[in-house]
Amino acid sequence: MVDRSGQKKPGPVLPFWQRVAGALNPVNWYRKDPALWRESGTAYLYLLPALIILGIFVFYPFFSAFYISLFKWGILPPRPYIGFANYSYIFNDKYFWRALWHTFYYVIITVPVTLFLAILVATLLNKGLRFLSFARTSFFLSYISPIVAIAMVWRWMYNADYGLINYLLSLLNKLPFVHIDPIAWLNDPRYSIPALIILSVWHYVGYHAIILLAGMQNIEQQYYDAAKVDGASGFQTWLHVTVPLLTPQLFFVLIMSLIGSFKVFTEVITLFNGPGPLRSAETIVYYILRMSGRIDSATMHLGRAAAGSVILFGIIFVLTIFQMTVTQRRVHYQ
Amino acid sequence: MAVGCAIMLLPFFWMVTTSLKTEAGAMRMPPQWIPPEPQWENYVVAWNMAPFGRYFFNSFFIAIMCTIGEVITTILAAYAFAKMRFIGKEVLFAIFLGTLMIPGEMLLVPNYVTLTRLGWLDRYEGLIIPWIVSVFGIFLLRQFFRSIPDELWDAARIDGCSRLRYLWRVIVPLSKPAILTVALFKFLGSWNSFQWVLLMTNTESMRTVPVGLMTFSSDIGTAYHLLMAASVMAIVPILILFFFTQKQFIQGVARTGIK
Repeated sequence: MVDRSGQKKPGPVLPFWQRVAGALNPVNWYRKDPALWRESGTAYLYLLPALIILGIFVFYPFFSAFYISLFKWGILPPRPYIGFANYSYIFNDKYFWRALWHTFYYVIITVPVTLFLAILVATLLNKGLRFLSFARTSFFLSYISPIVAIAMVWRWMYNADYGLINYLLSLLNKLPFVHIDPIAWLNDPRYSIPALIILSVWHYVGYHAIILLAGMQNIEQQYYDAAKVDGASGFQTWLHVTVPLLTPQLFFVLIMSLIGSFKVFTEVITLFNGPGPLRSAETIVYYILRMSGRIDSATMHLGRAAAGSVILFGIIFVLTIFQMTVTQRRVHYQ
Repeated sequence: MAVGCAIMLLPFFWMVTTSLKTEAGAMRMPPQWIPPEPQWENYVVAWNMAPFGRYFFNSFFIAIMCTIGEVITTILAAYAFAKMRFIGKEVLFAIFLGTLMIPGEMLLVPNYVTLTRLGWLDRYEGLIIPWIVSVFGIFLLRQFFRSIPDELWDAARIDGCSRLRYLWRVIVPLSKPAILTVALFKFLGSWNSFQWVLLMTNTESMRTVPVGLMTFSSDIGTAYHLLMAASVMAIVPILILFFFTQKQFIQGVARTGIK
């Protein structure tokens, strides 16, 4: 056997059992690097507050959700173990599938529309307008305002009889061949999800645009100079320089909004003051929290709600894994 | 772009203008863009129709406590991760980052059970303590702390400075912008937080502004002029905060996209 490092071997080779005992002896662990152990003690003291809080309110409930989901868990004990009955209840509940469908419908439109408008807005902001900071602020206001206050004004604007939106639509009737009847945005089940989508796009577009704008401002001028030398038009430059170099931010925004939209809840309950007409705007998180008995004065079934939470985690987990694979494969431009 | 700005600002304009109308004026068709006689007393009426004073106190108190708590725990943890050697560092950091993948909505039900057991339902403890740590904040500050050269610590140690003192006197002042960003986002998040407060409180006296506004809206029915006045009141504190710290806010958001 060749000693690759060529260094002197430390000490005589001990019998096997002695080496095992040495490796298992904590005193030896300490002796190997005493400074590391002393510093570890201090470090864990610094980490202690964070560890305690995360332990109680993040790590423990994460596992506890799986545990609770296996029990029939009402307000008062007894809380018997019932295996996977909560899951089979959910999978056999038509309202779960409806909630899933509503959520998909909402996500599949909200995410691309928000992203598209955000790119558009970021591009325009990047042109360096005179009123840049005013424009940026006006796009940011919707994001920082509490959703409840936002939802209240939209509830008012969606009002079928006196709402601003139906009024503006009615102005279009003055054009030839156009006839728009007033829409019962919040009372007609067909319009529940569209009403929710409009509110959400309005609420999030500015936030996404600011992130994309920062990405655009980070692109080095030399790429644009090169494009100019090659005689590229403004649109060509945007399509072949800006967009490809923006992929890290685009993916970030895409995934954040995908995951965020899946968890939509506050917008629903505040806009409709409930799950919408005939539960037509009930989403996954709404469905879960309804089973918890804390909203809509529903009966408390914490076991079912926990099972729903686990299913939600499954969906988000798949999305996150997908994001990680795609990011590693695709986003390596700069 | 002008159209875009108009669409973004129209709901805010409509909120303010409605809040200054009479009930009949709000229901007029075609709508009045500017009310002929601004009804400022709508704000007084709305304020007195629900315990908004209490709601505002709760919101401010909770947001401030959450922010202070979070800044402390986050600075300590971020410092350990950025500048100290300890056993299990990589594993622990990976676990911390892993928690970012857990949707908060998944934890609501088990946390409700925990708060019930602790007797923290409907109490400030339950609204503050679970929120005084943010993994994202730890991550952000760690990145910032790492950029501070270690020579400073060596010099301070020779002068007999303790770690805690060094952290407080050197690292924290040097990292003010990053800490301010973390604090701002915590305050904003806490002020706007809705889901948690809705689930973890039962009584009126523990409600915050958003949840109070929500119950107010179901109590008053169609008095939209008063509802809009209350909504304006809920937004104003955030607006004031935003206008004073706009730069930090926008940089903070921008930074989340560029890693």
